Amino acid sequence: MRQFFILFQKETLESWRNFKWIWMPISFILLGIMDPLTQHFLPQILDSVGDLPEGAVIQLPTPSAAEVLTMSLSQFNMIGVLILVLATMAAIAGERKSGVAAMILVKPVSYFSFVTAKWLSTLLMMWISYFIGMLSAWYYVGLLFEFIPFADFIQSFFIYGCWLSLVITITIFYNTFLKTAGLVGFITLATIILLTTLTGIFSNWLPWSPAQIMSYAGGSLVSEGLPEHTIETIIFTIVTIFILLSLSVVIFRKKELED
Amino acid sequence: MSIIRVNGLKKSFQGLEIIKGLDFSLNEGKCIALLGPNGAGKTSTLRMLSGLMKPSSGSIQFQNENIGKDIRQYIGYLPQYPVFYDWMTGREFLEYVGKLGGLSNKDAKTRSIELLELVGISDAKNRKVGKYSGGMKQRLGIAQAVIHNPQLLMLDEPVSALDPFGRREVLELLEKLKRTMTILFSTHILNDAEEVCDEILFLHKGLIVESGTLGELRQRHQKSKIDLEFHEKPEKYLNHLSERKLISTLNVEGNRASLTVTNIEEAKKAIFHEASVHNWPLTKFEISKLTLEDLFMEVVQK
Repeated sequence: MRQFFILFQKETLESWRNFKWIWMPISFILLGIMDPLTQHFLPQILDSVGDLPEGAVIQLPTPSAAEVLTMSLSQFNMIGVLILVLATMAAIAGERKSGVAAMILVKPVSYFSFVTAKWLSTLLMMWISYFIGMLSAWYYVGLLFEFIPFADFIQSFFIYGCWLSLVITITIFYNTFLKTAGLVGFITLATIILLTTLTGIFSNWLPWSPAQIMSYAGGSLVSEGLPEHTIETIIFTIVTIFILLSLSVVIFRKKELED
Repeated sequence: MSIIRVNGLKKSFQGLEIIKGLDFSLNEGKCIALLGPNGAGKTSTLRMLSGLMKPSSGSIQFQNENIGKDIRQYIGYLPQYPVFYDWMTGREFLEYVGKLGGLSNKDAKTRSIELLELVGISDAKNRKVGKYSGGMKQRLGIAQAVIHNPQLLMLDEPVSALDPFGRREVLELLEKLKRTMTILFSTHILNDAEEVCDEILFLHKGLIVESGTLGELRQRHQKSKIDLEFHEKPEKYLNHLSERKLISTLNVEGNRASLTVTNIEEAKKAIFHEASVHNWPLTKFEISKLTLEDLFMEVVQK
């Protein structure tokens, strides 16, 4: 346990020294407030840049607050996921490639702690950045449209956070057996895209697919109560996360000792 | 008393056998050199002993521990190219690995300071490792290898990348460390092995081809060898000796000749006789001892 804490501390310090703790929250804030701002100022923006004939009247339906917050969520779902994968893809692969992993693992360090410390520290940073980003989105939506009840906001925040946690876990999983960070990033993104596409096509047959979480999180904002299958999907996602994490430890240990 | 015992150790990568069955044991408190040409399997052997790599077959037993037990806590290891976290300072890195090695926070601190002093980089302790020179990294590497007071220290080519001064200092450091721990280091620089080591393991093509103390090896491989140096080309002078069947092999290089002889006393007498009678322009006469280099060549060419 002490060893896990030492490793975890090192990860946190590293992210601090290379400014991840600064740019990650900032990126999420930007992603979060982009849609509330553009949606609110869209008529003015079109007016000033649009090459419209004199006197043309644009009539846009004003989106509801819940719809705008859902747009912020889908920003996280596109660019947020990309940022998370890029920031995590070298977590273990980079250390193995440079050889510093071997310097550490020749000490009596447990492989379990080594992998889980990285996983948890990345997860911590993701949840904090994502929370700050989501909170800013909620605040701007409140200012420019109307305030969504905080409880609803928190509910959708936690629902969607499960999907982002899965993304981090998949990235760490690929890290344990691929040595090139770029390849880890590529394969992780490919997996996510494949999962999302398949879920989109067969959505009726895959109600529990983690890729549904995005629509459930949005749905929970728009309608009363939780959309159908939300709880099952979350439980399924969390179970998947722990299975992947255990596999990561096993594979990492085996891989390290082989070469 | 042996500190580590290796039995039938083998390792293959993708069907290619790199280590073809090693059996040896290392004696406690000794300094042992693992010699061998490039590609002999030195690094793989060290990685297996340190627990970084799993053997394909065979066993490694540390003192009285059970075979297959995790022995990393007893072992200090320095890879050939040590790498660190560039964003840490030297002192932070030592404290970090010290704590991972089981030291308390306080002990990790004091031991780091001590070791930085010992390896001679305490001036740079608060500088980022990314800014260290190659020699400084090598020293930091040695410090991190011994921070948790291992009983067996293994170093992979610790001096190959250093300049002559750095080499000297690292060798002196090893002399100091030798008093408190068993040391196994790999090298292909024979002088270094000769200087600090008590025993030698010769690895060639994944097998141990020769082992023992330096003295034993000398005795086993000693040949009567005489080195001569002349002012001019020596061939014409040596013909006489060849005719008398005193020389078994003759090797001429420029003005130098080295000859293996069957009977050293007779050969000596004959050479001195010839030299004074025919007035040889001789500048050097030496009955040479077997060097590790000779042994190296002999073993590798076998």
